[in-house]
Amino acid sequence: MIQPKKFPSKDNGARSVDRRTFLKMMAAGASASVLAACATAGAPAEQAAAPAAADTPTPVPMPEPVTSGAGMMRPEGSPKHGGILRTAFGVTMAHFDAHQGGGTHVLCHMYNNLVRNNLVDGLRTIIPDLAESWEVDDGGLSYTFHLRAGVKFHDGEPLTSADVVATFNRILDPPAGIVSPLKANFTFVDSVEALDDMSVRFNLNSPRPFFLNLLTPTNALIYSKKSLEEHNFDLRGVIAPGTGAFRFVEHLPAEKWVMERNPDYWDAELPYVDGLEMLHVPAWSDRGTAVLTDQADMSWNVAKETWDEGQNRADIVRVNKLANFGAYWVFINNREAPFDDARVRRAIHLAVSKQNLAAAFGTQELINITRWVPQGDPYATAPDVLATLPGYRAEKEEDIAAAQQLMADAGYGDGLTGIELLAAAGPQGELLAPAFQDMLKRTLNIETEIRIVERALLGSEQQTGSYQLMVHTRGHGVSDISPRGNLWWRSGGSQNFGGYSDADFDALLDEIDVELDIDTRQGQIAEAEDMLDANPPEYLVGYTFHLPMWNNRVKGLALDERAFAEWGRMETVWIDEEA
Amino acid sequence: MSKYILNRLLIAIPTIIGVTILIFLAMRVIPGDPLQLIVSETDGVYVLSEEELQALRASLGLDKPYHIQYLDWMGQVLRGDMGSSFWIKEPISGMILRRGPISAQIAIMAVALSWLIGVPIGMISAMWRNSLVDHLSRVGITLFIAMPSYWLGLLIILFTVLVFTWRPPITIIQLWEDPIGNLSMTLLPALALGLGLSAATARMARSAALEVLYEDYIRTARAKGLRAALVVWRHVFKNAMLPVVTTTGLALGGLLGGAVSVEKAFAVPGLGSLLVQGMTERDWMMIQNLVLLYGLIYVIINLIVDLSYAFLDPRIRYES
Repeated sequence: MIQPKKFPSKDNGARSVDRRTFLKMMAAGASASVLAACATAGAPAEQAAAPAAADTPTPVPMPEPVTSGAGMMRPEGSPKHGGILRTAFGVTMAHFDAHQGGGTHVLCHMYNNLVRNNLVDGLRTIIPDLAESWEVDDGGLSYTFHLRAGVKFHDGEPLTSADVVATFNRILDPPAGIVSPLKANFTFVDSVEALDDMSVRFNLNSPRPFFLNLLTPTNALIYSKKSLEEHNFDLRGVIAPGTGAFRFVEHLPAEKWVMERNPDYWDAELPYVDGLEMLHVPAWSDRGTAVLTDQADMSWNVAKETWDEGQNRADIVRVNKLANFGAYWVFINNREAPFDDARVRRAIHLAVSKQNLAAAFGTQELINITRWVPQGDPYATAPDVLATLPGYRAEKEEDIAAAQQLMADAGYGDGLTGIELLAAAGPQGELLAPAFQDMLKRTLNIETEIRIVERALLGSEQQTGSYQLMVHTRGHGVSDISPRGNLWWRSGGSQNFGGYSDADFDALLDEIDVELDIDTRQGQIAEAEDMLDANPPEYLVGYTFHLPMWNNRVKGLALDERAFAEWGRMETVWIDEEA
Repeated sequence: MSKYILNRLLIAIPTIIGVTILIFLAMRVIPGDPLQLIVSETDGVYVLSEEELQALRASLGLDKPYHIQYLDWMGQVLRGDMGSSFWIKEPISGMILRRGPISAQIAIMAVALSWLIGVPIGMISAMWRNSLVDHLSRVGITLFIAMPSYWLGLLIILFTVLVFTWRPPITIIQLWEDPIGNLSMTLLPALALGLGLSAATARMARSAALEVLYEDYIRTARAKGLRAALVVWRHVFKNAMLPVVTTTGLALGGLLGGAVSVEKAFAVPGLGSLLVQGMTERDWMMIQNLVLLYGLIYVIINLIVDLSYAFLDPRIRYES
């Protein structure tokens, strides 16, 4: 049994949140109503969240009294209004429809979700957003959200339950011609119905302890029914009005986005800044230099070398290293010999050193050596425990011996030849793939040939199954193992491209999906990770760190306290010109 | 002259049509489905069903036969409409008009720099052949020809960031809006491009001048007592410039379309960056129109280069 880990503590050491506390905070209120009952306008959210860390587990969010002011985020310090926040990161997107796969790291500022992660406590709790409160009934089979009164879309239309219903109906049952990648996250939702103008009920066919988490990513935003209908439910070419803290002003493609403060925002105190100017800076190194040279105030992720420089320039900028939910993998085609043999996959898992791969790739991106559940998730294996596990520990001698024995048992004691290792052009093909190739050869005598293709082609190669081994990335907006496991590792999962199939894992995943007791679920997830270690579907190189950098003037986002990386909303940000 | 220009323009038409056909087909035969991008941005890879693929193709007009798609595009272009990007429906002409001046300015500044530096060095190197000056010039020329402008750009950025905590602006500042801000944005990319181009120009100028210096008419000019400066200016320089103009013209044609690598190094939002963006997003319409634009620029620049020969060498008369 894996020991509970300590949740990443804040840099300033002001408060540490252990795993159990975090779990309770997430589940218990996830807080809606805990905060609804406790938060008052003007009070720091950290204080408001404190009651959530009660001693008794709260497996399912329970109904709480509705209190005005629920979900009002107030950063520490003395926030001042005014100024423009300039950001530096890639701001292009193929199209504008968040539910059809369009990027939301820019447009999220114009919208709200039903619930969201709390910006001022480092994304450690889920708090009300458009839903001021909610009730969970029928043992987790029914979630009733009560919408905030007086919320208006940027075109002046009032928010009603019809908007929420139209939004989620399009996700759950997309009209012809509409693609819905989010649908796979909500397969357990039978229906969404309006109880009245301001109340919406989600009817689940089975309980999901992580249901609220699925509503927090920036792409789970609410569109207006009017916008959807006006554009025949296709918003790819439309910047639809939202209810968010910022309104659209200007878009210069592949150059910048400009947004202004929404004077009619439902939280009259927010946002603090007058607007956002999001500069298109696709190269990581340029993002770092943009912040260092004061051309931008912040970036979500900068290049390692500029991040290092930022560490030495505390007089002007601050930096952090945040767990991210995207990872580098070596995907294995389980359908074909020799990789249809679990012993071969397990041997690779044991023999290839993640530490060496992380070192080889360290100049490009920092690899966070993790198990199947990423750091930043309350169920992740603690780093100190991870460091002792076969396949994850730095000392490889014992693991390599075990791996060689597995290969021999599988009939490949002399190694393998003619294996193709597919990788994208660029750092993945130039650094990760050769390092992986070298370790396979030296430890298991598996000879591979690297085939380089353009990154955009890996997806189609993956879907058609025309690969044996493939270095590639994959992530999910939610860290919980259930949505990931169902997409990636369940037999027949919609993104289980490698054809992995383990009936025991599927059965355990069924239990994890619906388990509401935190301790029981923690044990189940640990067991699932053990299963994946024993019968790996693919090789996990590791999740990545994101390296945010921000000017000392930038306050209110708790960037130095975040539990994980999220390129999301920023309405609590304020500019301290005296810093 | 006008007949010659007309002939050249007529000859250019099949060239341009060939370019459009090539790029149109290339976009459709190279692997990689742009439709996959519709769902791959946020939640990893999502498999489109055949029905979804069909619906998406239809929504973008990609379900039509290739020749119809091609004729649709050409019809748009002939009407002066470059269309809009695949998904976000931004007019491509607007993007080109906004970014084109920046790329053009950098290109012209780089070429001007290459002449300002390269031509004098080449001429001096030729005039004092095998002297210390010549040797030093040739070492410098070799060094800067071998040095990729992208790498030079990165070095410049590194230097300015680490030493001055400054870097060129990363958003577009047009010359007519803020000349100083504009120059702070364009000068260093032009320098990174111009230094390499200077070296090539110097080498070309030196070898051309060396050839001219040994011509009979130069010996004659000297023999009749013409001052050395006049010999160089009237006879050597003008005649030596023909190959330099040719190479410069070709380089300018390439740079006007956006020096992709240098624009990337300096994060300049020019046409080169736009092309990279289009490729990243598999925005076929964007790529097709930009490549068409580059083709047109090349044809026009080549024509201007040809016409400039008549000015530089009176023996060349196009009517004959």
